[in-house]
Amino acid sequence: MDKDVVIKIDNVSKKFTRSIKRSMFYGSTDIFKSMFGIKPDTTKLRKGEFWSLNDVSFELKQGEGLAIIGHNGSGKSTLLRLINGIFPPDEGSIRVKGKIGALIAVGAGFHPHMTGRENIYLSGTILGMSRNEIKNIFDEIIDFADIGDFIDAPVSTYSSGMSIRLGFSIAIHSRPDILLADEVLAVGDLAFALKCHKKISDFRKNGGTLILVSHSMNQVRNACEHALWLDKGMIKESGPVNEVCDKFENFMFKKDSDDKSSSSVGTHITNDSNTIITRVEFFNDKDEQTTAFDSGSFFKARIFYKCNRSVKSPIFTFGIANVENVSVVASYSNYTLDLSDTEISGEGYIEVIIPNLYLRAGNYRCTTTLAEGDVETVLDWHEKNFLFTINANKKLTHGIAQIPVEWKI
Amino acid sequence: MNKEVTVYEPNQRLKIGFFETWVIMFKNIVKSKELIIQLFKRDFFMSYKKSYLGLAWILISPLVGIVSWVFLNSAGILQPGDTPIPFPAYVLLGSSIWGLFMGFYGSAGGTLGAGAGFINQVKYPHEALLIKQTAQHIANFLITFAVNIIVLLLFGVTPSLGILLFPLTAIPLFFLGAGLGLIVSVLSVVASDLTNVINIIMGFVFYAIPIVYQIDKIENPLLQTVVQINPLTYLVTGARDIIVEGTIHYPERYLLVAAISFVFFMLSWRLFYVSEDKVIERMI
Repeated sequence: MDKDVVIKIDNVSKKFTRSIKRSMFYGSTDIFKSMFGIKPDTTKLRKGEFWSLNDVSFELKQGEGLAIIGHNGSGKSTLLRLINGIFPPDEGSIRVKGKIGALIAVGAGFHPHMTGRENIYLSGTILGMSRNEIKNIFDEIIDFADIGDFIDAPVSTYSSGMSIRLGFSIAIHSRPDILLADEVLAVGDLAFALKCHKKISDFRKNGGTLILVSHSMNQVRNACEHALWLDKGMIKESGPVNEVCDKFENFMFKKDSDDKSSSSVGTHITNDSNTIITRVEFFNDKDEQTTAFDSGSFFKARIFYKCNRSVKSPIFTFGIANVENVSVVASYSNYTLDLSDTEISGEGYIEVIIPNLYLRAGNYRCTTTLAEGDVETVLDWHEKNFLFTINANKKLTHGIAQIPVEWKI
Repeated sequence: MNKEVTVYEPNQRLKIGFFETWVIMFKNIVKSKELIIQLFKRDFFMSYKKSYLGLAWILISPLVGIVSWVFLNSAGILQPGDTPIPFPAYVLLGSSIWGLFMGFYGSAGGTLGAGAGFINQVKYPHEALLIKQTAQHIANFLITFAVNIIVLLLFGVTPSLGILLFPLTAIPLFFLGAGLGLIVSVLSVVASDLTNVINIIMGFVFYAIPIVYQIDKIENPLLQTVVQINPLTYLVTGARDIIVEGTIHYPERYLLVAAISFVFFMLSWRLFYVSEDKVIERMI
């Protein structure tokens, strides 16, 4: 193992069984084999088994930050557990240099009837700290968790945010060399989230190595410089974080478009089959129909409806969500257009115009609904059903939008 | 940077030398001293936190149990035999020792279960759980046992000085009980039926030990054979006789069974170590 390498994963595979009964059966046979000193052959798949991780290799040097991204069930958490040594791989080997701290389960072993103070000792010990070590950083843990007088109250009286804060504080103070974090940076309120980011960045500055599992590309781009994209247990891409995240986001978009031949990808709910939204078309500043826009350019969506009866005081809504399902635009027609005395029937369309669509590069999905009288009386609903893209540009932004910003001094 | 390198490979624990596993497990226990203390505190004291009487329950349960023995004693239902001490006292001691054994079995059987909740999320030596479970059981037992002895004294029954050797006779009971429990602990993860089967068997085993009767009063030859080949006969009666009379009636057989129990425990402990790896991923 090279001097600087702290984690070395060589051709690691891990298999699981979906059926509980089979899992029990395979577990029993493996145990009986072990009983007689026979090494179970872990390299072949038995009936009902699948590779949760398949031939994964990578290494990480001291002080580096690696993000593991991928869909649900792609093997991210399994990989973290293997590195943490919770269970062994079925093939390959894992080498880890130094003490691992896992932010997989915050508040491991907390007893609800014990006070926060008592639980710090308990959880700290479970995480491998000695009594003296805990004593030395006890005040830091309490300061960081910032839960006030609650520290002397039983944990069962805490809000869920408070117990996560305490749990996180204990884990982050256990002074690991390598930190494994599974979706935890999103805990608590904004102030606490910032504190966590600061703490993790301090940890990195002091030579700590980070492996972060997250679904938030924003967070991943901020916290790590490398990324590993897992797909069905295999490495699909690995490399610099922005490259891999871009590819991942594009893939998600493509997959959406390929899934269905039409432009329709989300869900369509019709409460009244006489009144439906038939399609949405997008237009640029030259009034050409398109699905690709430049950031900041003119954007127009034309929502086509077909009503076999007349709809009194119609309200249209239009929303745009990014690939992470964050709603970036949401607007109701009644904000600016009073249709309360209007009736619509037959075929027609309504237009939504956004003069400057300051979104960052990426793929977006639109939601639109038609309601009658009030927004709650929905007649027809297309949830994230229409797609468009903001063309890639060289500008790097971390926010969800790319609003023009100037700096002056 | 000279940090320790940890390696994880398939079937890693099976590749460890036979005797080396014991060394590793023993070291793990020594290393987890503080963890054991913390978990013991959590589970022993916290189980009574939500009750008004709190730890007093540890005393109340055996006291109430004894009332029934006192009743049976006064009602003369338990036939007095030629036992060295009044028969109810004899039965009380015997069943208390049986309880000690079953407790060892039960607490070892709950080894992996006791860590459920974080066994899947944090890496720590699970041997610590066995010790914590056992310590918890011993703490409970000692209190119950002390109450029993006080009651016996009040009824005019004086234990022999051999009672000082009683802790020694508890050791083979631990080996046999915990040995059985550790196997159950692992196997019950993949086949919870096993726990039920063993519990049913244990119900019969109780009657195959001279606890509620005397060994030389058995007339049925079949039962006689069963009682004689039952290893627990010697471990339980040995522990009881050392308290009552200060001697062990079948010392050779006792020592043989004790030795077998030790070997059995060591084997089952190793089995636990090599196979827990295979079941933890199935505990999710």
